[in-house]
Amino acid sequence: MNLHEESRPLVVVGAGPAGLCAAMEAAGAGLPPLVLDEGSQGGGQLVKQIHRFFGSREHGAGKRGFEIAVELVSGCLEGGAEIRLGHRVLGFFRDGRLLVDGGEGVFLLRPGATILATGAVERSFPFPGWTLPGVMGAGAAQTLVNLHGVLPGKRALMVGAGNVGLIVAYQLLQAGMEVAGVIEVSRRVGGYLVHAERLRREGVPLFLRHRVVAAEGGKEVESVLVEDMETGALKRFLVDTLCLAVGMAPQAELAAMRGCRLVHVPELGGFLPWHDREMRTDHPGVYVAGDLAGVEEASVAMDEGRLAGLAAARDAGVLDPGKAAARMREIGARLELLRGGPFGEPRRRAKERLCSLPGSARGREDGDRVRRKGRLKKR
Amino acid sequence: MSPDIPGEGDLWRSSWEAAVDGAVAVVDCREEIPCNPCEEACPTGAIRVGPDICAAPRFDPQACNGCGRCVALCPGMAVFLLDRREKSGFARVTVPYEMGERPVEGEEVQVVDGEGKALTGGKILKIRALGGGAPTLLVTVRVPESVALKVRGVRYRLMERDGFREVDKLPSLADYPLCRCEDVPLERVRDILRTGLKSLPSLRRASRVGLGYCQGMFCQSSLRQELAEATGREGEEIGSFRVRPPVRPVKLGFLGGGNA
Ligand SMILES: Cc1cc2nc3c(=O)[nH]c(=O)nc-3n(C[C@H](O)[C@H](O)[C@H](O)COP(=O)(O)OP(=O)(O)OC[C@H]3O[C@@H](n4cnc5c(N)ncnc54)[C@H](O)[C@@H]3O)c2cc1C
Ligand code: SF4
Ligand code: SF4
Repeated sequence: MNLHEESRPLVVVGAGPAGLCAAMEAAGAGLPPLVLDEGSQGGGQLVKQIHRFFGSREHGAGKRGFEIAVELVSGCLEGGAEIRLGHRVLGFFRDGRLLVDGGEGVFLLRPGATILATGAVERSFPFPGWTLPGVMGAGAAQTLVNLHGVLPGKRALMVGAGNVGLIVAYQLLQAGMEVAGVIEVSRRVGGYLVHAERLRREGVPLFLRHRVVAAEGGKEVESVLVEDMETGALKRFLVDTLCLAVGMAPQAELAAMRGCRLVHVPELGGFLPWHDREMRTDHPGVYVAGDLAGVEEASVAMDEGRLAGLAAARDAGVLDPGKAAARMREIGARLELLRGGPFGEPRRRAKERLCSLPGSARGREDGDRVRRKGRLKKR
Repeated sequence: MSPDIPGEGDLWRSSWEAAVDGAVAVVDCREEIPCNPCEEACPTGAIRVGPDICAAPRFDPQACNGCGRCVALCPGMAVFLLDRREKSGFARVTVPYEMGERPVEGEEVQVVDGEGKALTGGKILKIRALGGGAPTLLVTVRVPESVALKVRGVRYRLMERDGFREVDKLPSLADYPLCRCEDVPLERVRDILRTGLKSLPSLRRASRVGLGYCQGMFCQSSLRQELAEATGREGEEIGSFRVRPPVRPVKLGFLGGGNA
């Protein structure tokens, strides 16, 4: 196999808010990166978000997601980063090379350093009828209505009252669909109250302690059977679309392939690459940021991206360590505040736990031994 | 407490009182969430979140000039304007509006409360588009003062309430696939688990779940869940699928360097 090979001082995989902010920061520090993304637009999740964003000014709060995406992309290009869209990274080998499908052909990249910012994927779960057309992830429904201008159906039921479920349900209404309700297994709305109230004032009921039993229909979804978990009563919703918003999981395949240590952190979405407070993995020259480093929010993703960009530039020797440290402190303090409040606190604690785990190869061996011992004891 | 604040008691007392002189904000945001565009939007400093971005906003109606910028920029659509200067038993309420149907000035619309219940009909006095980028519409309606503090929106479509039917008996449910790419039924996975298989890689090989087109993107978590239930282990102990390139489906000839 004789593939074309290119060398780059820094490659960023993923042009979402994390990757773009990492690229901007690294470029500003004198290490202009190559940014790769498989999408046709830069901005990651932001390009399909038509709502105004939370966060503060540094995160573009008050603007709509797709507007923030445009600003970040132009900021990156002005800073001197190169962005190649329609480029899928297929592999990240242990020798540090990336296998890339550029649309026209496959080639290899040999980066000096690599920042992975591949985001997260929607979770799904199986139940009778889950493979019928009409059952889809909330993100998929959002892509259909906001990017392609296509309605997935006439009337939808949303599963999951976290922020994604609440926001996408609202956007389905905006696009002209009916929403029969939002069902949620837990006793409480998981997302922000303001999002839930926005939906309720449109007449969309929330059903807490309810679960999906089955999606029913011959060729496609015609109705959905739901159980009230408190009383056992069954409800049948006549809908043609069932959207699942039951969480996201970090897209850690590339990090795993490279050999980065993966840690399981339920509060942050499951398996994700171990990293320190400067977003460095246990492999020198490999950094992570954004939803890949724990599913949180765009505002957090941006600041983590900035940290990764700074760390990469400093470790490459182009950024003065003192300057890097000062800027990192400023960003770190902001992250600390973003992870405050009852919603942020569990994530802040989980991050702290993760960062305090040993990350070096030695630490990892010790960790393995401890785990193995633990398992022996249990038996 | 003055008895003449209808509805929500003391929560918006200061806004209610200040509104006799003209429009002021009613801020319905009580949770600690990482958000402060209202503060950024306000030209007079009437809404403040402060350095701790998760603090709930504090509002000073004396400083508010009723400009409505916070109403347009709040991502939670949680700020409204109240104007009682008419003093005729009617108030003007301004709500943010982002639905597809375009409201028209002079038109009668349905005015709803926080639960989506119709409070009253109201005439649209004014529509403004505010906020950078794609603007938000600010719709001002005239409603009886007695319901003014309850108003949370205007609505054109009437959603079908109770959009479900009670069902008495659970219909018999057929087995279903756990893995859609390789079409592996759940019962087959459970049969394999009953043989005592305990590791994720061997379960994957024996069942073929996760060996299809999606490479486990959709089914890995379901398989891990089944394994967790069967063995009482979870998380890191179960581990995750071993990943090999390519992480995205691609034609083999293409990978060989030959271009399609
Ligand atoms: C409905 C919804 C509403 C939200 N609302 C808010 C909000 O109001 N405020 C807020 O702060 N956050 C919000 N978020 C969260 C926010 O969108 C995410 O946290 C954020 O986008 C994460 O950024 P990221 O850069 O880590 O990942 P992403 O934005 O997911 O970007 C990852 C990028 O990597 C690319 N990629 C992945 N794998 C590869 C590969 N192998 N090769 C090439 N490219 C690849 C993808 O194409 C993608 O563009 C919302 C999320 C959702 C789903
Ligand atoms: S209406 Fe204007 S002055 Fe009053 S709080 Fe809102 S932004 Fe500030
Ligand atoms: S902008 Fe809206 S949701 Fe955000 S803090 Fe202010 S009032 Fe609350």
